[in-house]
Amino acid sequence: MEYPEIDRYASLDSPVHRFDPRTKIATFTFLVFSFVFIQEITIALFALFFSILLLLVSKLPIGFVFKRVQVVLIFVLPLLIIMPLTVEGTELFSVFGISATHEGLRYASLIVIRAMAAVILILTMLGSMRFDTTIKALYMLKVPSSLVQMLMFTYRYIFVIIDEFLSMSRAMSAKGFNPGMNMYSLSIIGNMVGMLIVKSYERGERVYQAMISRGYTGNPKTRTAFAMRRTDYVLSAILVGFAILVHININTVMM
Amino acid sequence: MTKEAVSIRDLNYSYPDGTVALEDINITIEEGERIAIIGQNGAGKTTLFLHLNGTIKSHNNNVVIFGKDIGQMKSKERIEKVGIVFQDPDDQLFMPTIFDDVAFGPINMGLDEDEVERRVRSALATVGLTGFEDRVPHHLSYGQKKRAALAAVLSMEPRILVLDEPTANLDPRNRISLIRLINNLNRNKGTTTIVAMHDVNAVSQLADRIYVLNKRMVADGSPTEIFMDFDLLRENNLDAPDVFRLFNVLSCFGFNCESLPLSIDDAVEVLTKTIEGNGKHIHLHIHEHTHEDLKDIMHRYDHHAEPSK
Repeated sequence: MEYPEIDRYASLDSPVHRFDPRTKIATFTFLVFSFVFIQEITIALFALFFSILLLLVSKLPIGFVFKRVQVVLIFVLPLLIIMPLTVEGTELFSVFGISATHEGLRYASLIVIRAMAAVILILTMLGSMRFDTTIKALYMLKVPSSLVQMLMFTYRYIFVIIDEFLSMSRAMSAKGFNPGMNMYSLSIIGNMVGMLIVKSYERGERVYQAMISRGYTGNPKTRTAFAMRRTDYVLSAILVGFAILVHININTVMM
Repeated sequence: MTKEAVSIRDLNYSYPDGTVALEDINITIEEGERIAIIGQNGAGKTTLFLHLNGTIKSHNNNVVIFGKDIGQMKSKERIEKVGIVFQDPDDQLFMPTIFDDVAFGPINMGLDEDEVERRVRSALATVGLTGFEDRVPHHLSYGQKKRAALAAVLSMEPRILVLDEPTANLDPRNRISLIRLINNLNRNKGTTTIVAMHDVNAVSQLADRIYVLNKRMVADGSPTEIFMDFDLLRENNLDAPDVFRLFNVLSCFGFNCESLPLSIDDAVEVLTKTIEGNGKHIHLHIHEHTHEDLKDIMHRYDHHAEPSK
């Protein structure tokens, strides 16, 4: 099992890596919102192309990002089949009396392309800085503290929980357990997951005690030292400009 | 003049499900003492520790630290006085980087940035982790995590340092350096140290006085006193140090020394002194009672045997 280390390539050097973390989060989020409201396939493709361009600039390994994009595609790709069959409109073709529509296909493609563009953007953003930097930047951007803490602890303890899961599954295979697709295996795996939840709950309690004993009052503070440079302003101007541009285009096309 | 660092009177605690964890606990610890609390699994050591810095609040105002009731203290004051290092370092290192973690306590104490920085640096230097500031906890080895967890408590510069199983699961080198570190803090800064441990072979290196806990405080005394009390050890499922047992055996062969050593280091000292004071040689022999004495000694340490009369 691989650790979900989102910041494995955070130590690379690229304009995206050097981008001020707060501004990076703000402008990338703005871009994501801009992209998901695009209504035209051509413009959406253009946005996707822009995301990939940013990814290339960031020098993050393409495989590293696309492995994670796949996960999103699992959820989005079925739309390409479902939507042409359900959206009403001009018929594209029909099989056994079920007709696929042109509009359905268009909407589905639009959703898939927008989703890919947005996910690539987010992964480029998260992958190009250390996770602790992301957390600090979120704090400085005044994201609600409880949200940031949830993110922080999830990321911190996901590795511990994976280790616990691995040692449990090793213990089980040492006792001759071979997971398969049958009731017995599934019920064993169910037990394992349940055990993991109990363990996590108990760990949560112990972590909380450790936090209390070091003066936790509900709002952890950290030291941060970010400074904006001129390149940060230029880069954010370009990105925000692009985010606005894709929507100005729509209006001119429509007119 | 020594001050009372910890004073607990008639402390009782039950878990939410009603199981009794601590019963009528009374302890008094002077400032600068080195204390060990030993007891079998589930004896209540960790629960007792959580009371020491008010993580679990007693409602009867019976935990008093440096003359002040812990329940009345603000969080800042309470963490300045008592620092607890928990057994599992993964429970304790909860912040994204080592720096953030070690800085967590000092920041909560409201110290200014320079002072926080200074304390983090000095705490990391003390545990030998200088240069680890930006590392993330899941990239550290277990020994490193254990030391980082200690640094995270040392940075608060507590006057009482409480450690839950500090040497458990450590390799020999890490264990020795940790023991040395704790003793240095006690000697150089006058920190009162309280440790819970299972490892009786190491306990005499970390404590001058031992409390035996088994939900109640069963006994209190010097390591020698405690380890001489075979019935006490057996009733509470505890062992005596190997060296101590060996010298008990040696005494059956006619070896006489003033006090029985508790560790290898003590043993070297005791042997040298005894042999030097005895015309540069010692005489061991077997006489008529030896076999019986041996049997008796070994029987006393046997956990499966019936209690001796």
